[in-house]
Amino acid sequence: MDIGVLRRDGRTDPFFDGTARDELMIKRCEPCDRWFGPDATGCPGCGADELGWARACGDASLVTWTITHGRDPDDEPAFLALVELAEGPWLHARLDGVTGLREGLPLVARFVHPAEGEAYLLFSGTRRSPQ
Amino acid sequence: MGSGAAIAGLGMTELGRVYGSSPRRLAANAVRAAVADAGLTLEDLDGLLVSHGMGGSPSIELAETLGLRDLRLLSLMSAFGATAGAMVAHAAMSIMNGAATTVACVFADAPLQPKQSAGSAYHRNAKEYYGFGGMTAALGFRSINAFYALAAQRHMARYGTTSEQLGAIAVSTRQWASMNPLAQLRDPITLADHQNSRWVAEPLHLLDCCLVSNGAIAVIVTSADRARDLARPPVHVLGWGQGHPGHRKERGSEFGLTTGALASGPIAMKMAGVTVDDIDVCQLYDCYTYTVLVTLEDYGFCAKGEGGAFAATGALAPGGALPTNTGGGQLSAYYMWGMTPLSEAVVQARGAGGDRQVARNDVILVSGNGGILDHHSSLILSPHAPSSQGA
Ligand SMILES: [Zn+2]
Repeated sequence: MDIGVLRRDGRTDPFFDGTARDELMIKRCEPCDRWFGPDATGCPGCGADELGWARACGDASLVTWTITHGRDPDDEPAFLALVELAEGPWLHARLDGVTGLREGLPLVARFVHPAEGEAYLLFSGTRRSPQ
Repeated sequence: MGSGAAIAGLGMTELGRVYGSSPRRLAANAVRAAVADAGLTLEDLDGLLVSHGMGGSPSIELAETLGLRDLRLLSLMSAFGATAGAMVAHAAMSIMNGAATTVACVFADAPLQPKQSAGSAYHRNAKEYYGFGGMTAALGFRSINAFYALAAQRHMARYGTTSEQLGAIAVSTRQWASMNPLAQLRDPITLADHQNSRWVAEPLHLLDCCLVSNGAIAVIVTSADRARDLARPPVHVLGWGQGHPGHRKERGSEFGLTTGALASGPIAMKMAGVTVDDIDVCQLYDCYTYTVLVTLEDYGFCAKGEGGAFAATGALAPGGALPTNTGGGQLSAYYMWGMTPLSEAVVQARGAGGDRQVARNDVILVSGNGGILDHHSSLILSPHAPSSQGA
């Protein structure tokens, strides 16, 4: 799939440091023992406005999904989803090769390293069905 | 205090693929039209509330554009699709506590450009993407359709809601639109048309999605006492409420399952002294068919999870038990954020609906919805003043 070229924005760079080494880095408030998505800017629990980055295990489950279709019939449909990380946060994500979509379907993070731009994240089923 | 507040004027510019006027000029024209509709002049205004929009919408400098002087109330308000309801509530409170007497509330937007598809007005497309948010867009989250599709799909998976049930809302809304000369889409559609319309973001077909429109709508809110002496029958503002659930993006979230209508509806109905059984007609924010379905559930017109079955009974259609979106809504008439349901509510309360006028208009429920089901406003409107309200 061609998703364009990803660049860093200076605020979420540790996320892309993570994808480069096949790790999913998300935000975490240590005092509250709470995890947040990579774009979280603070902890609503304690008011901390600086959250640390921590590695998520990459396991997730499917919350809900959509298949988007471009106006051009030649555009390939995109399987998009909300996934719940094992640590609790939800991510808007893209699925790759996932069949039998249902609430709670186990997923695992997978990393893509394009020739140009930052590495990114997809979610696949935990047991890949044979082609 | 005493007599409460009422909507005394409604002004609408040409709506739809209307080009050549800036949102500020559209807004000014809508306010002028609303003032004239009420039988007032601009000099009578001592309050102006301006809604934000997609881009280029005016802020409080609109007062200067209109030449308004000595205002007692002037604000830009922003709660996305809930703004219209929030503006009317703010105006009503300001009037009832004596801070202002006559307040214009206006929304204007012009997201459509000539030779541009409706979808692209609310659509992002770029070759380079920046940061984590950029990654989300790059992966395919480039339009608000995808986010609402996630919500609708979750409702379907949890409660068994079907695309055909969503289609029933598209069909009934178009039935109403066919009787509204101002509606952008007036040709009747069938359930098969809905099912055969192209996918936008599964489970949403094209006919599950609202229009995009340019234009402006304004209302004039004043005291009920004053409204009685003006040109139009007063539309009394009996109750209002808001709900901002703050669904978190984390485990346990009710995203897609419940909305701010759950909190907003009971507040507004209690204030108005009515229950859900008293509502004669609904004007619900219908950015998507699914939004109507989940809002009906949260207001309590049916049990949670049964919105689809309820819609499929035909209750929302002309002749149905709960006439809903009687002007054709945002799906078929015009997309002016929360001003779409509000404007039709005013028309119905006045008995000015022509071929689409409902027989019973004593209690009208108006909803607003903003963000991805993040913000909600409710209004209870009536042709009757609170004291003359039948129990
Ligand atoms: Zn904390």
